[in-house]
This record gives sequence, structure tokens and C-alpha cells, in this order.
Amino acid sequence: MEIGLAHYLAVAAILFTIGVFGIFVNRKNVVVILMSVELILLSVNINLVAFSAHLGDLAGQIFALFVLTVAAAEAAVGLAILVVYFRNRGDISVDHINLMKG
Amino acid sequence: MEIETLLPALAFYLFAGVAVISALMVVIARNPVRSVLFLIMTFFSAAALFVMLGAEFLALLLIVVYVGAVAVLFLFVVMMLDVDFVELKQGFAEYLPLGALLSFVLAVELIILGATFRIPKEFVAQTPITADVSNIEAFGRVLYTDYAFFFEAAGLILLVAMIGAILLTLSTKKDVKRQKVCEQVSRTPKDGLKRVDVKPGEGI
Amino acid sequence: MSGLLLDYLPILIFTAIALVISFAFLAMPLIMAPAAPDDEKHSTYECGFPAFDDSRMKFDIRFYLVAILFIVFDLEVAFLFPWAVSLGEVGPYAFWAMMVFLGELIIGYIYAWKVGALEWD
Repeated sequence: MEIGLAHYLAVAAILFTIGVFGIFVNRKNVVVILMSVELILLSVNINLVAFSAHLGDLAGQIFALFVLTVAAAEAAVGLAILVVYFRNRGDISVDHINLMKG
Repeated sequence: MEIETLLPALAFYLFAGVAVISALMVVIARNPVRSVLFLIMTFFSAAALFVMLGAEFLALLLIVVYVGAVAVLFLFVVMMLDVDFVELKQGFAEYLPLGALLSFVLAVELIILGATFRIPKEFVAQTPITADVSNIEAFGRVLYTDYAFFFEAAGLILLVAMIGAILLTLSTKKDVKRQKVCEQVSRTPKDGLKRVDVKPGEGI
Repeated sequence: MSGLLLDYLPILIFTAIALVISFAFLAMPLIMAPAAPDDEKHSTYECGFPAFDDSRMKFDIRFYLVAILFIVFDLEVAFLFPWAVSLGEVGPYAFWAMMVFLGELIIGYIYAWKVGALEWD
């Protein structure tokens, strides 16, 4: 019952698919879609850290640190766009989000 | 079975289970506020998994940055938007069967891929993890020298995110009287008092 | 099980105790407190007036701006921790790398200040 690399990869894989599933079924709610993107990035981080721990190489953890930074910046800008979109349109449905073009 | 292997295995299954269940609740919860709270729970369990992998610094960073800042940001946005969230759940049942099927297939494929992965024999660690320094110190030894370029790029990304978010959301109201502290403090009796010579019978 | 995980065992125990206590406090009113809910009790209290608004007030957008600035500077501080721990060994190059990083964020800070993002009204 030793917990190995495959266990952590399995958790990351399940979290990743839950994130994809969340984007798939919440077609209208942009907030939940952004949260699903955060879940996907978290699963990527788990993957990186698991490989880092099992290969004995710190590079994976450093990359996970940068993924964390980019994910936080992405959340900040994404939610800012969402807020502006809501202020202009009065709803956050994805159906009309292509109006942002041009 | 001896406790040496049982306890970590139990802890792993506990945190992995909590992470997966709360991640599922994030995407299927009816109320987005609950989604955010479940997202926080997912991050907490993921932080515990990081600790079990020996990545202490990243685990604490996950709690400080995600639970402390990003989740709060999500909560603000959810509470700021005046949206009928029941309406946004429309189409959920419609996409559910196909989405569940596809996700299941994807998950099985990824798990098989992970289970059959073998570390190549010729692998050499670029920055090996040594036992004599703590995790955070190992970070500090390479992050600012070998990875300095990426580090500065991360700073630029933060700068862009900050300026972009301010540009998008800041709206200064024009018709608001603002307090100008500098002017208030530098005001002297000379500016406030004026002597006017009033002649009798004329007024000002 | 390595020594590292044993170091974290007390935190696990504390978490378990905290969970048990908080769930106990949540569950006790369900069992012990008398509950006779009706519409009046559930409505928003408006000093005797009938409620004319939702009890969930909308947040002001300025809270959001504060939270964004908090995220950015939170990450900045996160990058400072390993630097502070290992500065003695890695030498002046790392010092100046961090100064450039801080300079980048100070540009953002000055921008936020000039544009009025730090003011409340």
C-alpha cells in the first residue's frame, strides 16, 4: 500500500477531468468556468510537484511556483474582464461573450 | 501492516478524496458562493498533498495565495454580481450525460497513462533535491540565480496583471468632491483670512 | 514514513480536533435549540418596516480593486521568503535580481497611486 507516483498522477488526472467537465456543463456561468480553469491549473501543479518529488529534481517545483504566479495573475485579469463585461451588459452569460470582439 | 506505511497512505486517501469530492462540488454546486467555498477546500487538501510530497513551501504558498487572495477575489466577484444564478444553471442537465461520459473516458485514459509511466534510466536531475537543506532554502539557492530570468518575467507578469486589472475596473467619478490632504495641511492663516476695507454705508 | 511527515502530524491532529469541535457546534443547535421558523422571522430586519431589499447587499467594486492589489503584493512577498532565507549563500547577483523584481512592482505601485486606485472615494 505504498503511495507512489501513480497515485498522485491519478489524483491530478481526476482533478483535471473535473475541471474540463466543469467547463463543459457550466456553459453559461463564466465564474464557474474560471474556477474550473483554476482547478485544471491546480491539477497541473500536483503533477509537477509529484514528478519533482519522485525524480528528486527541484525544477518541477520551481515551475509549479511560476504556474501559481501566472494562475493568480490570470484570475485577477479574468475576473476584471468579467466585472467590466457585467457592468456593460448586465449578465455574465457566455452566449454573448463574442460581443467583446473588436 | 505497520504504522509506518499505513499512516501516510491513510492521509493520502483522506486528502485526495476530499480534494476530488470538493472539486466535483465546485462544478455542480447550484450556488456559486458554495462553489468558491468548495474551491477553498480543494486547495487546502491539495496543500496537504504537497506537504506529503515534501513541497512545503509550495503548500504554504497555495494556502497564502489561493485561499488567502484568489478565493477571496472570487468571493467578491460572486457577491458583487447581481445575477440570477439559477438561470445560469440552464443547460446543465442537457450537457451532463455527454460531459460525464467524455470526462470519464478522459480520466481513465490519463490514469492508465500515469500508471504505466516509468522514469527513464538515463534521467539526470538538473537541480537535485538534497536532504541537507530545507525546501524553502533549496528554492532560494536556485530561484534567484539559475532561474533569475523566469523570476523577472514573473515580476513583469504581475505588473501587467496589476495595471490591466486597474485599467479595466477603475472608474473615477467626476462629480465627487475629493479631500486634498496636501492643500489642507499647507493652508496658513494668510490663505484663509482677508482684510477688506469696508467704507461706511457702501457694504462690500 | 519520513521525519518530515512526522513533523506535520501535530497539525493533522489539530485540524482533526478543530473539525470535530466546529461540527459539534454546528450540530448542537439542530438537536437542542427550539426551532419554529416562519416567514416573518426569515425576512430581513428593517427596523419595523417591511423588508424592501434583498438581505444580500451587492459589494462595491472598490473592494475588488483592493483584492487585486492584495494578490499582486501577496505574490511579491511569497517570492521574498526564499530570498530572505538564502541570501547569505547566493551572493550579490541574487540580491540585484530581487531589486529588479521589486523595481518592476514599484512601477506598478506608483501607477496605482498616480491613477487613484488606492483612494477610496
